[in-house]
Amino acid sequence: MTDKKWVAEVNEKNQETKALSTKIPHQETQAPERRKFLKQAAALSTAVVSASAIAAENLPPNVPDWQKTLGSPVNTNPYGLPSKYEADVVRRRVPWLTADSIASVGFTPLAEINGIITPNGLAFERDHAGVPAIDPNQHRLMIHGLVKNPIILTMQDIKRFPTVSRIHFIECPANSAMEWKGPQVGRLQFTHGMTSCCEWTGVPLKYLLDEAGVKPEGKWLYAEGADAASMSRSIPMHKALDDTLVVFGQNGEALRPEQGYPLRLLTPGWEGNTSIKWLRRLEVTSEPSYQREETSKYTDLLNPKDPDKSNLIGKAYMFSWIMEAKSVITFPCPEKPLKKQGKYVMNGLAWTGSGKIKYVDISLDGGINWKQAELNGLVLDKCWTRFSLEFDWKGEELLIQSRATGEDGYVQPTYAQLRKARGVTSIYHNNAIHTWKINKSGEVESVQI
Amino acid sequence: MFKYSKTIKSIVALILVVSFHVSATDYQEISIKSGEFNRGKKASKEEIRGWHIDISPGHNLPAGKGTAADGEQLFDDQCASCHGSFGEGVGRNPVLAGGEGTLKDTSRPERTVGSYWPYASTLLDYTHRAMPFNAPQSLNWDDTWSIAAYVLYLNDVITDEDFVFNADSFAEIIMPNADGFISDQRPDTNNKRCMKDCKKPASIHIIPALLGYASGAEDSINDDKSTSADNTEHKIGKQIYNTHCKLCHANGVAGAPKIDDKATWGERLKSGMDGVYAHAINGFTGKFGVMPAKGGAPDLTEAEVKAAVDYMIKDLEQ
Ligand code: HEC
Ligand code: HEC
Repeated sequence: MTDKKWVAEVNEKNQETKALSTKIPHQETQAPERRKFLKQAAALSTAVVSASAIAAENLPPNVPDWQKTLGSPVNTNPYGLPSKYEADVVRRRVPWLTADSIASVGFTPLAEINGIITPNGLAFERDHAGVPAIDPNQHRLMIHGLVKNPIILTMQDIKRFPTVSRIHFIECPANSAMEWKGPQVGRLQFTHGMTSCCEWTGVPLKYLLDEAGVKPEGKWLYAEGADAASMSRSIPMHKALDDTLVVFGQNGEALRPEQGYPLRLLTPGWEGNTSIKWLRRLEVTSEPSYQREETSKYTDLLNPKDPDKSNLIGKAYMFSWIMEAKSVITFPCPEKPLKKQGKYVMNGLAWTGSGKIKYVDISLDGGINWKQAELNGLVLDKCWTRFSLEFDWKGEELLIQSRATGEDGYVQPTYAQLRKARGVTSIYHNNAIHTWKINKSGEVESVQI
Repeated sequence: MFKYSKTIKSIVALILVVSFHVSATDYQEISIKSGEFNRGKKASKEEIRGWHIDISPGHNLPAGKGTAADGEQLFDDQCASCHGSFGEGVGRNPVLAGGEGTLKDTSRPERTVGSYWPYASTLLDYTHRAMPFNAPQSLNWDDTWSIAAYVLYLNDVITDEDFVFNADSFAEIIMPNADGFISDQRPDTNNKRCMKDCKKPASIHIIPALLGYASGAEDSINDDKSTSADNTEHKIGKQIYNTHCKLCHANGVAGAPKIDDKATWGERLKSGMDGVYAHAINGFTGKFGVMPAKGGAPDLTEAEVKAAVDYMIKDLEQ
């Protein structure tokens, strides 16, 4: 009757995949209505009513306005911008946290991130003396110290080395620092937003070091940025020669200024601060340099509650580089409550600086019982891993938690365990299991138990 | 394109099923050998000297010298506006002096140059590279030695204001907390992947967040350098009040008690704060009108509504 062979072929294929389709894990996506609602909550209810009246004009059976008029011309925004309806999806600061907005931090809105890639404009930002505006033509990387050939490289020089692209998370060791003593900030953006995950493109550092020729006495690397803080850290040679990259690309484009344009170091899985931004200098040394950011800051002052560790009271860990396994549920969360009873897929992010994520478990009862979540999409080394679990909400109060386990067998600790080992004064490296309380209304609160 | 036999197709389908069960992925190593790319130019001694600013205990101590006596005026002029005349810190700028003996404090240890920093070289290094905050790398080495000597003097590490601080005398300065650091002992927790009956339900006590959902967002809070926790809460309360409560409570709309109507509030507070909080959280219908639950903003947490009420009342007391 017809020679449209593709019709038959597609039908056959549909038949084959039908059984599968119910099994495909999917992620809960949330319409931006809620954000609109939050804003409108302040306005009188009449405003809400009239807003929904307008909205109905664009709903079936009516033909929406935007189908009856022409859209804006191609290349209206030559770089491209998010939809105007996404205007609330931005990094935010906590003004009282730091002395001013120059040495401060902008938190990633984790509740709004899909998948495992953070868009460049939303990648968290921690600066100690503002963001410099560097002309790449006048930017240089100097490599000197205990090397045979001290060299100066231009950006072009660097880009002509072999390059790789790797997806890695970066986490500031101060992520969740506000939560040591008790729950402080009731919003995912602020409890966990000092991490992001991007595809980074750059040159493995060993190519550059081999070019300079590291002398045998060279055991450490001092790395320095070209910002007004001349941000600097000491990195042991084994990490420098392992997976450390000198990066110029981020998610397919040049690094953003806040991420170190035109050049940064990337030390995968280590304290975010060691991935020196605006990288201008690498000096090979025989010993660490004891910079302010590895003595005064980014050291972990201990006050263990464990009586067996009383000898550590008042001491501090130095060079605590690895970001240990951590996870957080990103839906539901305070920014994304449950609207009505029924079936949901909760999901979240897990990562570990020591390798790949092996398991993520979820508890709905505050840690009494746990269920293994599914890992969705790619499971990569030192990279965010998306996880999800289906659940049926019947309107009861829940205490939801996620717990990550790394491929090394390390299990994300509870607050009690962390405080037993370190007390509450160490600021950095809080990777405790986090609790969201789902109230009967569906709203979500940040709590500790 | 679709020329596979049926069996091959079903194998493909099978592989698809299997691959839904996520397996870990590895990157391919690059095979290109390193070395002898001959990129870049040789760095001259002169070029290196200009950029080689890092100072560590045995490394690159700069020329020049200074005393705490010399440093006092420099510090007052260039540092005290942010760090205070005695290094006590202004606003949220770091405290530079004091805090000795507080590192064992289980809640508020004070980490300063004197109480915490292990090496004096870090002070020279950091002062020169990053301070004054608004004019980094503007200090010459004599001034750097002098100011560092003065900061150490404020911390009683240098006790003689005429002590000449320079590369020769550097080793004489032993920082009080030099032995305070140990290498990373992590993993220092040992959680187990328990799946069932991992703890007693009775052991669960819920502590709510101090600052709830709306907290902290800068879009609504003015940047203000105050430090006290009270003030922070007060600020959150003000923000919530402005967004969610002011509507009615500023001018008595819908019968709401006006924020500055002391008599009304005095009456209402007589029955105790708990009742007033409960009314604000759950809503109530009183003699004058309807107070909607959480002011009609269900997204606010209880702590936030309380903060707003506290703010409304605090204002009255002024
Ligand atoms: C305009 C304000 C300002 C001035 C002036 C200023 N500082 Fe600072 N200082 C800061 C800020 C802000 C920081 C914290 C920077 C950061 O977060 O990375 C800081 C940090 C420091 C630290 C590190 C504190 C710690 O605990 O890690 C030292 C030491 C210091 N300043 C010394 C000085 C000296 C010495 C001067 C004068 C030459 C000076 N500062 C002038 C604002 C200032
Ligand atoms: C739609 C108007 C409206 C809004 C918005 C509103 N209120 Fe009210 N509120 C009222 C009215 C009306 C009363 C008085 C009811 C009466 O006493 O009859 C009241 C009373 C109160 C009282 C006194 C309770 C008592 O025990 O006497 C408090 C406290 C209060 N509101 C707090 C808040 C807070 C906090 C917010 C914002 C989160 C808020 N209100 C938002 C209308 C409002």
